[in-house]
Amino acid sequence: MSLLVLAFILTGAAPIGSAAVIGLLVLLGDQPPRESTVARAVNAALVTSIAGSLLVLAAWVGLTGSPVTGAVELGDWLRISGFSMPAVLLVDGISVTISLFAAVLTAVVGRFSRTYLHKEPGFTRFFVLLAIFATGTQLVALAGALELFFAGWELIGICSAFFIGFFHDRDEPVRSSIRAFATYRVADAGLLIATVMTFELLGSARFSVFNDLSALPQYEVELVALMFLLSAMGKSAQLPFSGWLPRAMEGPTPSSALFYGAVSIHAGLFLLLRVWPLLAVAPLARAAGVAVGLSTAVYAALVVRVHTDAKGTLAHATLAQVGLILAEICLGLTTLALVHLVCHALLRLAQFLKAPNAIHDSHRLGHDPHGPSRLERWAPGVAARLYAASLHRLRLDDRIDIALLPVVGVAQALDRADTWLRRMLSFDRTGS
Amino acid sequence: MHGLLGPSAPWETLAVCLLLLAAPAVAVRRLPHLWLLPGLAATMGVALLTASGPLAYGAAAVGSLLHAVSARRLSRTGAFTLLVAAVAAGGCGLALVGDSPASAFWLSCLAIALRLGIMPFHGGVAGLCDRAPLIQTQQLSSAIALVFIHLRFVDHHVAAAAAAPALVWYGSIAGMAGALMALVQRDLRGFYRCAATTHGGIMMAALGVASLGNFAAALLVAVATGLALGGLGMMVTALEERTGPVSFSGPGGRAAAFPRLAALFALFGGAGVGLPGTAGFVADDLILHTLWLERPSTAIIVILAHATLAVATLITFGRVFLGRAVASVAPDLDWRERAVAVGIVALLVILGIAPGLVLEPADALLGAVLGLVRAP
Repeated sequence: MSLLVLAFILTGAAPIGSAAVIGLLVLLGDQPPRESTVARAVNAALVTSIAGSLLVLAAWVGLTGSPVTGAVELGDWLRISGFSMPAVLLVDGISVTISLFAAVLTAVVGRFSRTYLHKEPGFTRFFVLLAIFATGTQLVALAGALELFFAGWELIGICSAFFIGFFHDRDEPVRSSIRAFATYRVADAGLLIATVMTFELLGSARFSVFNDLSALPQYEVELVALMFLLSAMGKSAQLPFSGWLPRAMEGPTPSSALFYGAVSIHAGLFLLLRVWPLLAVAPLARAAGVAVGLSTAVYAALVVRVHTDAKGTLAHATLAQVGLILAEICLGLTTLALVHLVCHALLRLAQFLKAPNAIHDSHRLGHDPHGPSRLERWAPGVAARLYAASLHRLRLDDRIDIALLPVVGVAQALDRADTWLRRMLSFDRTGS
Repeated sequence: MHGLLGPSAPWETLAVCLLLLAAPAVAVRRLPHLWLLPGLAATMGVALLTASGPLAYGAAAVGSLLHAVSARRLSRTGAFTLLVAAVAAGGCGLALVGDSPASAFWLSCLAIALRLGIMPFHGGVAGLCDRAPLIQTQQLSSAIALVFIHLRFVDHHVAAAAAAPALVWYGSIAGMAGALMALVQRDLRGFYRCAATTHGGIMMAALGVASLGNFAAALLVAVATGLALGGLGMMVTALEERTGPVSFSGPGGRAAAFPRLAALFALFGGAGVGLPGTAGFVADDLILHTLWLERPSTAIIVILAHATLAVATLITFGRVFLGRAVASVAPDLDWRERAVAVGIVALLVILGIAPGLVLEPADALLGAVLGLVRAP
């Protein structure tokens, strides 16, 4: 086994391995495992993941021999007549950066959470989800083909939904987690369609196929690029899918920091960086991306001014920056976008983790009330309307709910017809 | 063709079917009609291992009859449907003897539609889901075998290829309808019923593309669906044995009382909608690729059906297990139930990481059959 393959296994498989072991202990044991056992197992796996990421970095730089770059084949996930699903990883500047960055941040949050969530009823659940998330991020970072990327992408989405609903004794977190998950599934559908289209149009779903798109008609290039953009918009909470992000703050602070400050919220942007060769030749999709990114930044900047809770404010501040990074990517400033992404994630992680201290800090530092803004002085009517609209977050969620009403109506009509049909055909005494 | 019990026999598929068949018997202490199990296992073995189409369908018909016997007290609709499925499978065997591949194909499709609960033939499966989820789990195991023999004996004739586009459309729309209905259910059994209907529709679409030579997708969809739905059915039964029928209008909050049950419910529900790392993920990927080849719009419908069912699954999970904790004196899953559920999860994960274990031998066997059929 080559050193690089070992590195990949350590990076991706160690966290989910620890989750599997803890899961088996919970399912088959008579007593739930102790907090210290859970935290040690997962944190050890997360440190192992960092070691694996460092090994990948070393191989890329050339410290372990000649520099490794490009696709690394691990064999076929599945090979049957006429179809193969490759297990291929990609080593380049972007993947190495994101892999190491995600591994370190996840481990930091793991260590922080051990103390923060001490004696919390969902302690074990939190760490199992954190470990699964770590594997998801490593798959996303290092995948060399869309199938593997999609696997990681989905793991991140599922963990995110469960983290939002972490405090499930209350109704609101559960509702919020369902809304976030539904948005994620829209994003997943976009990515899945893009994956299948890429495979069928280009003969493979490896990222390397985007380097030569000359055989593809322009409208197909735009269509695939728009599908990638749609999935990135859902995952990164860009308009009109921004409504789930403030609701996601229902989760515990460490997961909010990791997901919505640092890693998960940037996954859509990372996807766009990965498929940049495709975006580069899709001007329509890029223009749409710039428009979406900038309008999200403006929306978030408006809403952040009227928010009164620390995490909600941070969520919208994050959204504004993510919108700007999306615009940067679509304008072709990919290196700037990568640097912006990493720096922004680090800053937000720290801010989110510090959020529980906000009240203490505000008492210590004092509160500086500000006077009326220029807009409030010059056009108080406009300012008041803008304030009200921002307070209701432009009623984004309400509009989406209204747009979905026909779907619910069709579902109910189908259900009524089905109930009638089953009653007609049933031989059971009370109908089925 | 291939000899009985030859090296190319689908041992792996048989093993999966037998494990799923045995699962409820191991998990539940006093499962009624246990004496039928050896007969069911034998019919499944004959159906999968024989090289004779009529014999395979004869065995499938007997298997369906045995399921009907076990279901008759709990759901007469379910028993009657299984009986009709047995007649259809028997008719298919006779059609093969009479060298009438078109009739055999349609009868086999009917038997599968009845066994998997594809709309509008889902009355029987709906009855089983409502009244006897464990028998539904057991009959899913032999439905996998039925799909296999369909792929092996009747799915590669001209009639099958001609029917493929219609089947693909029918299956995807039926799947989408089931997923939409799952969103608005008012009780746990309703959700389970709709999940079965959704998967049945997608299975039919997979059989449509299998007619064009993409049989691996159909087989993996059958196996993944059987395991995920079977596991889900066992969890539904286990929960309702402890709490009585679960309505969504009442309080949820059962996760605190039944944490293991909740975790396994989430795992099986997730596996059914393509949770990465499970067989469902690879099955989804395969079926979407093959559907896209046939008709891209149907692939998009199936993607949306899966997304809708995934949301419905989370909604159901939320309404059943999440919310203000309710007190319960009933215990969580006992060791037998846990062992069986972990076994099914392990199988789902193994087939998710290494799907070739089942698919490659089956693909080689079915490919060889297809080659022999097309050779003249």
